[in-house]
Amino acid sequence: MELRQERRAVERPLVSVVDDDESVRESLPDLLGELGFAARTFSSAEEFLASDCLDQARCLILDIAMPGMSGPDLQRELKLRGQEIPIIFITASTDKSARPRLLEQGAVECLFKPFSDTALLKAMNKAFHRQ
Amino acid sequence: MEVLPELATGDVKHLQRCINDLVSLLALPAVWSGGDPSQVLQTLLDALMRMLCLDLVSVRLTDLVGGAPVEIVRFAASRGEAPSAHEICEALSQCSENDSRKWPPLLRNLMGEGDVSIVPLPLGLQGELGVIVAAAERTDFPRQTEALLLTVAANQASIGLQEARLLSHQKRLASELDQRVVQRTAELATANEELKKEFAERRLVEERLGQEEQELKRSEVRKAAIVDSALDCIVTINHEGRITEFNPAAEHTFGYGRDEVLGKYLADVIIPPSLREKHRQGFAHYLATGEARVLGKRIEMIAVRADGSEFPVELAITRIPLEGPPSFTGYLRDITERKRARQELLRSEAFLAEAQNLSRIGSFSWRVPTDEITWSEQLYRIFQIDRDARVTFELICTRIHPEDLSAFQEHIERARRDRSDVQLEFRLQMPDGAVKYVHVAAHIRGEHEYIGAVQDVTERRSSEEALSKARSELAHMARVTSLGALTASIAHEVNQPLSGIITNAGTCLRMLAADPPNVEGARETVRRTIRDGNRAADVISRLRALYGKKEPTIESVDLNEATREVLALSLSELQRNRVIVQQELVDDLPLVAGDRVQLQQVILNLLRNASDAMSTIDDRPRELLIRTEPDDDNRVRLSVSDVGIGFEPQATDKLFEAFYTTKDEGMGIGLSVSRSIIERHHGRLWAMPNGGPGVTFSFSVPCKVGGLTSDSARASRTPSVSDAA
Repeated sequence: MELRQERRAVERPLVSVVDDDESVRESLPDLLGELGFAARTFSSAEEFLASDCLDQARCLILDIAMPGMSGPDLQRELKLRGQEIPIIFITASTDKSARPRLLEQGAVECLFKPFSDTALLKAMNKAFHRQ
Repeated sequence: MEVLPELATGDVKHLQRCINDLVSLLALPAVWSGGDPSQVLQTLLDALMRMLCLDLVSVRLTDLVGGAPVEIVRFAASRGEAPSAHEICEALSQCSENDSRKWPPLLRNLMGEGDVSIVPLPLGLQGELGVIVAAAERTDFPRQTEALLLTVAANQASIGLQEARLLSHQKRLASELDQRVVQRTAELATANEELKKEFAERRLVEERLGQEEQELKRSEVRKAAIVDSALDCIVTINHEGRITEFNPAAEHTFGYGRDEVLGKYLADVIIPPSLREKHRQGFAHYLATGEARVLGKRIEMIAVRADGSEFPVELAITRIPLEGPPSFTGYLRDITERKRARQELLRSEAFLAEAQNLSRIGSFSWRVPTDEITWSEQLYRIFQIDRDARVTFELICTRIHPEDLSAFQEHIERARRDRSDVQLEFRLQMPDGAVKYVHVAAHIRGEHEYIGAVQDVTERRSSEEALSKARSELAHMARVTSLGALTASIAHEVNQPLSGIITNAGTCLRMLAADPPNVEGARETVRRTIRDGNRAADVISRLRALYGKKEPTIESVDLNEATREVLALSLSELQRNRVIVQQELVDDLPLVAGDRVQLQQVILNLLRNASDAMSTIDDRPRELLIRTEPDDDNRVRLSVSDVGIGFEPQATDKLFEAFYTTKDEGMGIGLSVSRSIIERHHGRLWAMPNGGPGVTFSFSVPCKVGGLTSDSARASRTPSVSDAA
């Protein structure tokens, strides 16, 4: 299966997942794989910025609250660097008030954990439709 | 002056200058007048530098009283780095013995290469004041004119110094004299003050003597007026029963003038008609037989006034011990008032009984030797014992709550033995099973009798219990409040694993629905689902432990572990607030005895406070340090430090008051409840400003007696749910 993914990754669009929660980092790539994407995971915003994924990822699934640099921090940083990458925020917070502000600042979607596979697929379609 | 002709061959201008300099030197003492030695020397050195082409001039002035010598030095202005006055003086004095007159004319140049020519000039006749040293690199130094000027200068300086020293000596003497005058003046003032006091006291004594004399005179006058002004009626009669004296009190009481009644029969004047005959018979009987029923006794009878009204009197009759026919004095007192007072007393006793009833206080007396016990009405009611029953300890004991009985008997025995005041509280049990709380206070009166009060405090006790209940409700409320704020964080904590579960489940379905089904992948997602499910269960059980309202239970608590649990629950909230948490939990921390959940409440509260205090801090990392450590006196200390806004020093006392808050939101109830929790653990909670920004809150609680350390406790713990998974 590893091989199959590697092989397919060439033609599949790459999605980066940045989340400090291990459950998410383990479960999301498989789901994304089933939905037809390739995925790479990072446990922090800093790790993502330091990687070579910056130019390759077509979409970013980004946790809001993380130790160190937060999701919105990373969004600002990418904007400063001129990286126009669609961002889908995910959060375990129940505070819905953050969503409108994030969308206003250019996010494609903000999903509240736990979210369904169809909700994720819808958001992904939105992200790729935009490009 | 003899040297001048030899110099006449030299330059006239040079000579003129030399003379000018000499005049200046001779004028110096006028400048010095009133100055101290160092001022004298400084002006002199400046003058010499100006007049002669010197490279260096220095002076060392011996201190006559044995102190450090005064050392001053001057250099030619062009010199660069210059040695200090002390170094110069040391170098100069080392090159020879103390007697400067034996010094060599040349000396190693301290400021450059080669040697310098020096001229030592002793101050004072024998050089006892010190020495001036002039030095120049020129080989022609000193020329004759220069030697002359230097010698004159040294002499002037010697004179000036002597004068300055003399002056300072005089000044010292004058100041000593002044001081003595001040001291003597003060002594005189004190003596004067004492004299004044003595005088005043003597006058007081004289006044008192005068007063005593007057007092004596007054007492004589008073004595004379006693009969006239006596409150009792004084009436004397002769052997016939006729009135011979009738004092003003009698006039006032009976309404007759003295003159009206003198010579009249007593019986006709003051005895009601119904009793007159009896009086006459008794009087006659006495005269005939010398037997009397009334003499020397206090009797109560009815008297009559001039207006015919009757009133009660107390009467005492004595026979006047004189020769001749018998005469008698009667002392009569109107006892209308006393009778009324007795009525009042009865009434007030009734009032007291009513008051005892209302206040549920009964009174008693207990004669210890005989065990004679007297109860007030109310006490019978409190004990619910029949009013007619004889009160004995056996009877009392039937009403005392069985659990308090032995303590009660012990108190009674102690009171019997020590005869000291008694204060005790115990329970009564009524025949119907109702329980009453009573408070007893008794004082020993005389040697053998206790007088005391018994108060029924049942209502007070139940309100105290209600208060304590309210307090624990308050603690619960604070807990719920802090949890309310934590709800978001807990939801966050639960949502993380839930998110994993749902994603895994969705993936699993898709893998199984594929053709062919990806069974291996599906199995992996299910495994992860189980693990995330356990994680969620863990969070829930931690939440339940904190949220459940339980009565406090005492157990062995490992503060390190308790802290880790609280951190696990609040870490995401802290992270969201960008708080960087550092832990310094010391190994081998002794266990404490207490209520784990309550202590965790306090830790949670301190964490939240620290986080809130840093919410507006943006110019430095929001660092929070939580540490545990053994404390003095067999205690354990936990502290939480922040780098937040801190608080005003004067607010420290107020911090712990309920509802005091420096935050805009929040109830401020947390700290006061935290403190009461810690105090219930026999501990202490306090706050200290940090050296840098922020505050450190700490609490310290006693270790469990004979407790294990956290490490040995950990070894015996059962594995948690997540370990099992």
